[in-house]
This record gives sequence, C-alpha cells and structure tokens, in this order.
Amino acid sequence: MNHRHLLPDEIDLLLDDEVGFGVAPLKAHIRDCMECRTRVDEARFVVDALEDLPHFAPSHTFADQVMAQVPVFVPWHVTARDTVLRWLPQSRAARIAVGALAASAASIITLAILWIATQTDVVTVASGAAGDEVRGLVYEAGRQVLSTVFGDQMFAIIQRTGTVGVGAALIGLVAAAAGSIAGLRALAAASSRHRA
Amino acid sequence: MPPLPPLDLLNLPDADVVALAQQGRDSAFRELIRRYERPVFSLIYRMVRDRELAEDLAQDTFIKVLNHIDRYRPEFKLSSWLFKIANNVAIDHLRRRQLETVSIDGSPHAQTADAIEATSFDVVGQQESALDELEARELGTAIEQAIASLRPEYRSCIMLRHVDGRSYEEIAATLDLPLGTVKTYIHRARHELRRALDHVREGGGDDDG
Repeated sequence: MNHRHLLPDEIDLLLDDEVGFGVAPLKAHIRDCMECRTRVDEARFVVDALEDLPHFAPSHTFADQVMAQVPVFVPWHVTARDTVLRWLPQSRAARIAVGALAASAASIITLAILWIATQTDVVTVASGAAGDEVRGLVYEAGRQVLSTVFGDQMFAIIQRTGTVGVGAALIGLVAAAAGSIAGLRALAAASSRHRA
Repeated sequence: MPPLPPLDLLNLPDADVVALAQQGRDSAFRELIRRYERPVFSLIYRMVRDRELAEDLAQDTFIKVLNHIDRYRPEFKLSSWLFKIANNVAIDHLRRRQLETVSIDGSPHAQTADAIEATSFDVVGQQESALDELEARELGTAIEQAIASLRPEYRSCIMLRHVDGRSYEEIAATLDLPLGTVKTYIHRARHELRRALDHVREGGGDDDG
C-alpha cells in the first residue's frame, strides 16, 4: 500500500474521471486508505450535487423577443436560389422532366442564335438600325435628364461646349448620385449598428 | 409563390445551422435559440440571481451573437462563443452592481407572493416522494446558496464544468483564461462548495446511518 495520502490535484483527477495511466494507483490507494476515500467521497458529493442541478427555462416568449431585435438579412444569391427552388417540383421524376424541358428550350434558342449569326447581311442591317435607334433613345434620355437637372439655360451652355462638356456633366451627375447612395447606405448601416 | 419545403434542423450540427442562419433562414436562428436558451439563461441566472435581469442579459447575449452570426468561424464551437458572451455580459453586470446573496425561495427584490413564486428556483422537478422532494429542495437550496457565495470567476468556471459538462480546455477558451487558472478556480470552487455543504452532507449521512 502506498502510504502517501492523495494530493488535491490527484483528488481532482479522480473527480474528473480521468483515465490516464497515473490514475490506477490513485484508485488503488483510495481502496486501502479510509482517510483519502472519505476526502474523495466528500468531494464527489459536491460534484454529484452540481451535476444534478437543473437548467432553468426562460419565459416562453424568449425566442420571439430575441428575434424581434435581430434583423434577418437574406443575401441576394439566396433569394434568387430560393425563388428558383420554390418553382421546382419536389419529386425527382418531375425535376428530371423540367430539366429535360429546359435543356430542350436552351438548345432551340442556341440553334436559332447560331442560324441568325450565319445570316451576315441581315445581322448587319438589323444591328445598324437597332444601334441608331438605341443611340437616339440614349441621347434623348440624357438630354432630358440634363435639361431637368441643370435647367434649360444651363443645358444650352453645356450643349455649346460639345460632346466633352455633355460627357463631363453626365459623369458629374452619376458621381453625385453614387455618392448620395453610398452616404445613405453608410447612414443606414450606422443606424442599424446603433440599434443592435 | 409556393413556400419552400421546411428544413429539418433538429439533427443538424451547430455549424450547419449557423450556415443556414448566415443565409438568412429565420428557422435556423430560432433553432440556435432553442438549443442554447436554457444553458445560457441558467448560467446567467446563477450568476446574477434575478430572473427578470437574467432574461434581459440572456436576450442581450443572443442578440449580440445572432447579429454578428456572419462573423462566426466554424473552427470554434458556437457554444463556446455563446457562453463567452453570456459570461462577459453577466460579469460586466456584476461589476456594476454589488451582488446580493438570495434564497432559493425567491428574489430579495420580490414584493408580493406572486413575485416570490416567479423568482423561486424549481429544483424538485422529478422527485418521487414528499421526503425526496424535501431533501432535494434542501440540497438544492444549499448548493444554490453555496454557488451564489462563490467569486463570480469561480462560479462561471464551476457552472460550465459541472452543469454544462464542458472540458477544462473549452472553459479556458470560452473564458479567455489560461488552462492552469481554470483548473485552480475549479479546484478552489469545489473546495469552498464542499465546506459550505458540510452540514447538508453530514445531515444526509446521519439519515443514512
């Protein structure tokens, strides 16, 4: 029998149910040593009492109260994926059928695009006409926007400076709009952080 | 628009539920609250000894964690993060206010019988007889009072170790303490609790003998 009584750390090892090679002699010691066995039993009483303590439950509205203060942010790619998933059928067979249908439609559209691309003359004429139309629309929209923002007189001055002046005015307008949007977003984020 | 099929979250590990919460799934947030509301509330309740206050602090804990769920890194345990915030919230509160020792029979701030009932500990959940209930209540009262008398640092360590079953390493990571300090705190807490419970143990021993 080992006559050295257990050290506090060794009693902790036994309380923690450690299984290392040094534990077996400690267990053997408490089988023979009444004093150490009593100390371990006393410590075990406390540990058992602690481990029997229940978990308390908060009120049944706890989760709702927390969620009321947690803004749930859904990233755009998740929203897009969910939208697709909502319309997809649940059964595997139906999904395969939908997939086959979509693949067929995509093939037909691809073939149609390839066929159009081979018709060079038609494409050149059609794209030229479409380009003129788009340019006209963009020019008119830009003129309307600048005229509305700067006023007719100021717009007339800008127009006299030529393409460079109109371009600079448009770039300035876009930069001002982007700056405003960024400022508003920063303000909203700061407000959200403050609430949180 | 047809609804999405419901998610089966019950059997998912924490890291997967967190990933769903990061995708903005409301049900994943609620599942995380369901899993940890009791341990977190219990830890804080035993630290501050006031049900209403503990509920407010537990809410603060979850709000802090869930509002920053996008910062969660899966190499750490979610429970460790939650308990770390819960412990910090409780310790911060205790530093601001001197803790009063209370009886298991209700908060000292309770003014009416209803308030006393509402703030009392329920430690006799599944006892079979009136005698068992009485003994359990006596031991429950004694141990709750003994825990309340510990230093807050000892209290959080001993609760995490024995009520929530955390390893020493987890507790050290959770509370940002060196492993040796955690072992020392738990050893001292056990020692103080053993001394505080001497009278209960001797009383039980007399009954047995």
